[in-house]
Amino acid sequence: MTIEEIKELIRLVNESGVADLEVERGDSRVRIRRGQPFRQDYVIPVPAAPAVAPMPVGGPPAVAPDSTGSSAKPQTLEEGHELVKSPIVGTYYDSPSPGAAPFVKIGDTVEPGQVLCIIESMKLMNEIESEVAGTVVAKLVENAKPVEYGEALFAVRPR
Amino acid sequence: MPLNVERVRMLAPGREILWRASVDSTMHEAARLSEAGCASGLVVGADEQTAGHGRYQRVWHSERDAGLYFSIVLRLAGVDKASFPVATFALGVAVAEAIQSTTGVACDLRWPNDVLVKDRKCCGILAQLYGSAVVAGIGVNVNQTAFPDEVAAIATSLRIESGREQSREDLLAALLDEIDRHCEILAAEGREAIFALFTRASSYVVGRRVTVELGGREVTGVTAGLTAEGYLRLRADDGREEIVIAGGVRPARS
Repeated sequence: MTIEEIKELIRLVNESGVADLEVERGDSRVRIRRGQPFRQDYVIPVPAAPAVAPMPVGGPPAVAPDSTGSSAKPQTLEEGHELVKSPIVGTYYDSPSPGAAPFVKIGDTVEPGQVLCIIESMKLMNEIESEVAGTVVAKLVENAKPVEYGEALFAVRPR
Repeated sequence: MPLNVERVRMLAPGREILWRASVDSTMHEAARLSEAGCASGLVVGADEQTAGHGRYQRVWHSERDAGLYFSIVLRLAGVDKASFPVATFALGVAVAEAIQSTTGVACDLRWPNDVLVKDRKCCGILAQLYGSAVVAGIGVNVNQTAFPDEVAAIATSLRIESGREQSREDLLAALLDEIDRHCEILAAEGREAIFALFTRASSYVVGRRVTVELGGREVTGVTAGLTAEGYLRLRADDGREEIVIAGGVRPARS
């Protein structure tokens, strides 16, 4: 995990008012606690970006994931926040072309139907859109990294 | 000359074809029609695109009346949603077949679906998922006699390769026919059937020395077949096996 990512997490903690945030990525694990009364734990396990691109285990389910999430990965969210998940195995792109501005940044407000990122699977481009109006509170995947089916990509606080 | 769309309609009866003189990108109109619920197989094409693009918004040079630039809506009835990305392979194989049968030019396929003649690209395919439909944009260099400097070394046309002008109408009709046929193979026989056709038609699947960009790293090695999902196996020079799930594959320099 890079310093930049840790800074982003600290920003997230401050913005969201969460007391305690714990993030795991592969072997790295970061816990950020604020010196305020506890509200609730906020745990987002972030899968490691492996050196070898991951293989889907078994056949991917035939149905698209629902927003409540049936992913095998445990995801505890602050009440009211929604996770945007990848509907396919592929590569995550946070901008329409290399070097271009990202579709969204942390703190941006988004509208339903607004494109958040692209997941590419063998040249099939899948634009992931926000289902809700709200604020992006976390970007959970690094640009150009592989993502698994059902992997959390963003946390959005609906308004 | 503009495309004689009536001739294409005669060769491909029952096909809904919208043909424009000039558009920014055929993908935009096709995506809109797809989301409005149009029938599968609908084609939106143009004699010229002013903002034709490929992956990552790379420019697709779309010279007026020289190539075929069209998008097709594929609802892929009978195909499991998880196999939708395999449609991009089916499209590559279909295009290669149609070019070979119509023009006699032998094509190669570069994973996952670039159509090449002697290592130069003559067709690019970009597919985008809109809800439950795949909208595929297909650009074929047909009668170009030259290309702009920035792509001259990597592009070719069927006219350059065959030494004669080609009928865009005949080629389009053959393309639509082969696209239907290969989507039906995907639905009826599953992705393995498409991977088998792809492996037979492509020099890139097994034993080809290539360089690939993998999550920001450049890896060189020898290709070692497809995985069950269609990803490309690469035996890297450092001895590790890598799986290519996305990204540009190109011949290695050494």
